[in-house]
Amino acid sequence: MSKKGAFGALSPQELKKAKIAYLCVLPALLVLVLVRAYPIIVVFLKSFTNWDGLFANDFVGLDNYKLLFGSGMFWNLFRNNMYLLLSVPLQVIIGLIVAVLLYEHVPGWKAFRAIYYVPQIISLVILGYLFKTMFGLEGPLNQVLRSAGLENLAVDWLLNRETALPVMVFCVTWYSIGWQTIVILGGMSSIDTSVFEAARLDGANFWQRTFKIVLPMIVSIITYCVVMAVIWTFTSLFPLIYSMTDGGPGFETMTLDYFIYNKAFQRGNQLGYACSASVVLLIIVLIITAIEMRISDAAEEKWG
Amino acid sequence: MQEKSLGYRIGRVLIFLVLFILAVSFVYPILFMFINSLKTLKEYYYSPFTLPDLSNLQWSNFGNMISQFKILGLLKNSFIVSFFTVVGLIGLGTLASYAFAKIKFPGSRGLYLAFLVTLFVPAQVTMIPMYINFAKIGLVNNWLGVVIANWAMFLPETIMLMTANFKGIPDEIIEAATIDGCGFFGRLWNVVIPMGWPAISLTIIFFFINSWNDLFTPMIMLKSMDKRTVMVALNSLVGQFTGNPPYQFAGLVLAALPALLVYIFLQKSIVNGMSMGAIK
Amino acid sequence: MKKVLSIVLAVAMVLGLCLVGTGCAKKEEEKKLTIWINGNDSYIAPAEQEKSQDQWYISQAIKRFEEANPGVKVELIVQADTEAAHQQFKADALANTAPDIANLWTGQNIYALEDVLLDITSMVPQSDKDNISGWDAVTSPKTGAILGYPTADNQVCYFLYNRQIINDCGLDFDNNPPKTTEEFDAAMQIIKDKGYQPLAQDEGFPWFGCYIGAYWWVSCSTYPTIISDCEGTTKFVDDEGLKKAYSYYKSTFDNGYLNADALTCADSFNKFCQGKVAMMPQESSVVQDAEAALGAENVGLLMPPDLPGSVITGKTIGGPGQCFVISKQTKNPELALKFVQFMDSKDEMLNFLKVQPKVPTRKDITAADLGYAAGSNQAKLVEMSANTIYWVDNSLYPSVSGDFYALLPSVLAGKMTVEEFAAQLDTDVANAK
Repeated sequence: MSKKGAFGALSPQELKKAKIAYLCVLPALLVLVLVRAYPIIVVFLKSFTNWDGLFANDFVGLDNYKLLFGSGMFWNLFRNNMYLLLSVPLQVIIGLIVAVLLYEHVPGWKAFRAIYYVPQIISLVILGYLFKTMFGLEGPLNQVLRSAGLENLAVDWLLNRETALPVMVFCVTWYSIGWQTIVILGGMSSIDTSVFEAARLDGANFWQRTFKIVLPMIVSIITYCVVMAVIWTFTSLFPLIYSMTDGGPGFETMTLDYFIYNKAFQRGNQLGYACSASVVLLIIVLIITAIEMRISDAAEEKWG
Repeated sequence: MQEKSLGYRIGRVLIFLVLFILAVSFVYPILFMFINSLKTLKEYYYSPFTLPDLSNLQWSNFGNMISQFKILGLLKNSFIVSFFTVVGLIGLGTLASYAFAKIKFPGSRGLYLAFLVTLFVPAQVTMIPMYINFAKIGLVNNWLGVVIANWAMFLPETIMLMTANFKGIPDEIIEAATIDGCGFFGRLWNVVIPMGWPAISLTIIFFFINSWNDLFTPMIMLKSMDKRTVMVALNSLVGQFTGNPPYQFAGLVLAALPALLVYIFLQKSIVNGMSMGAIK
Repeated sequence: MKKVLSIVLAVAMVLGLCLVGTGCAKKEEEKKLTIWINGNDSYIAPAEQEKSQDQWYISQAIKRFEEANPGVKVELIVQADTEAAHQQFKADALANTAPDIANLWTGQNIYALEDVLLDITSMVPQSDKDNISGWDAVTSPKTGAILGYPTADNQVCYFLYNRQIINDCGLDFDNNPPKTTEEFDAAMQIIKDKGYQPLAQDEGFPWFGCYIGAYWWVSCSTYPTIISDCEGTTKFVDDEGLKKAYSYYKSTFDNGYLNADALTCADSFNKFCQGKVAMMPQESSVVQDAEAALGAENVGLLMPPDLPGSVITGKTIGGPGQCFVISKQTKNPELALKFVQFMDSKDEMLNFLKVQPKVPTRKDITAADLGYAAGSNQAKLVEMSANTIYWVDNSLYPSVSGDFYALLPSVLAGKMTVEEFAAQLDTDVANAK
């Protein structure tokens, strides 16, 4: 639709409203364009060059993309990303359960609520280091397994993709439960408590209260949780991977976003290549989010 | 109210137990750091998972953090960065989210999506072009540079959170405020902020703590020793095989306290958000 | 709450304005040098970081320089992440905000920055060339330009060993060290049979592979072959030295000599310090820590054994891993050079070595000057440093080094054979063209 057409259809009052809306959005838009959008365009353009961070800047066409897809590297990285996405349903469901349990206001629930967020306050680098120790060959977990006679299960967890990725899914889930709980609880707080109390007095049991009152009212917040968890899993696991496995051994546990860092910062000179990986990452996350939004729109239509 | 069925009581006990076990697992890391911050280096190497020697607690790790490492000055730097990050986010975020949630205007959905798109690019990628731009206009080695970079990083998420929340504010209340003679900012102040308080306090919690713990941006943007944030300074304490982890843990415990305090003070208001302001 | 919020917002605005104000305030003109120093493994010892900043060696050296040069102000910037500092330097060079002097890694790490570094070839006096070692590590092979000064620390790689364990196994590395890899294997088997872990290292980043593994490679293949492999004139897959060296490297793991969790642990040095491990491939900076943990008399140093058929024998890998470079953008090139020369002067290097007893890059500093007791590990390091070949990983071309670091762990883990590893390096060379 052309701009003129869009504005032409507006009444003077609506036009005034629209002006106010644009003024509201403008400051945020400026910040984002200058600090994020412009660099993204740069990244897109550089993805077709052999940029080394300095002056080497020749157009190389699709070479970077060919290398990424042709070497099999992309599928290796993408598979790891998809595997880590398994933590999203886990963390949202567990977060939801914990939030619902907290909403029951058992004694000490306020303290619990405070404690659940503690992992988020500690740097992921430290947590990654702790996890690494926990799941080490001689770590506490294996010591417990050995003393329980499960010698065979006491493996070097982070050595192979098959065991390292589930461990990482566990860690990410554990780390994120607090965040999910707080956000969902925040969403639940906008439920009118009188409705809830009335239902409770009417003898609605726990399950009825949860499924009939609570859940339908927080569909939008759950959508938000899922979307954020997906994006976060794709773009922000850096410090955890950094301190747990460094993407290794080899490229066993490397993800797309970590690969970007690896190529751009870890003594790599292949910034052009890193840019092409970023463009691919951007497209993937956009597609996944678009699908997700479709589903959540449908869900909101049904229950919201 | 007093007469509760046995099933109800058992249910409550079970819920309590589940929550309690979870809590223990969540509190462990901070306990680990605290316990180890009281050990000597040798003790830590030998047994990182046991209690420290109670007769020889290394409180000096904390003392040195304050007197030698001057961690209080570093905490101040972190506070400046995190505080202005959050203030800007609330200002910019509330305005934009209000428009997206409550005003129908052409291009609204497109703009909203454009905002969200910027979420998907890892900070590492855009850092170099951004850095060069910032250096040219004097924002490098300047707290404001980190603050603006943080705004850009956190705004999409803030707007997403606030828009979702503001949508839940009934139009009637806003209209009522208009009829009561509230102007645009009056409506924001008297209706949107109080009613959107759960989202706003979440914003404060999340992004205060995020910018407090962030390493990447401040590490690259802040250069002078007297401008570094606490996480950057603590990070420089570790080498590959060297360094003194107990000492660093003492610093990390001290550095975690302000974030923890912000959280503890504000988390109440998420849940109490509705009990204040317009609805009463 | 509203009242509080409004006060907070008002205060914030005022403070925000101040913040912008200070950011824009012009600094008065004076001769100023900005210098980057690595946060760890360089001029700042870990122990120093527990002291206040003005007590650090580097701060005091700067103070001495400022006193000797009135009107000059030196600003110290610590780079916490040295690895990222190289990319950061590029960004700063493009933005025209590069520091005058930067403490970076030598070899290919600075050759990649040649376009933005000051060529100091004509500015280095002959006396410095004679008295300081390691100029090869800072001279661009492409143009022959000298791009920096080696820093004070002349690193050496070796096996750190626990004398108590070795003696307990009936071995005597002081008088009868294993000279060949066969003897080395035999010794490790004895240690293993006795119930000790013979070797330990955190190989997630392949330290062992870069230290001793690379020595085995270069001692079989020699540098010209490795460089021509990197250039693509010869192939890594045809490089027998590479295959021999890294097959042996892998065999230490397969035979259980190297710790089973080498690829996933981060605490092998702790285990060494606890006396659970007999040997550890290491470089000079950790001797002090090991001595502090085990007692100086229980810590010994062993030169790497040689593979059968090595061209080079009886040496090890090492050399200055770090240097000072001067930015092309500096407004005061002479002054910057003066500072670097000041840091590398005999007096200053001696001051540094008092804080961190390492091997100096200056040849005119003797073990006696340093006060290292004869027979001490420090004295032994000085001796060893005369027998080093420059770091192989710093010499690999950037197109290759990324996969070299990333895939050596895969070789150890058995995810990829040494041949496949070599073939991948060849692919990298081909792709870079």
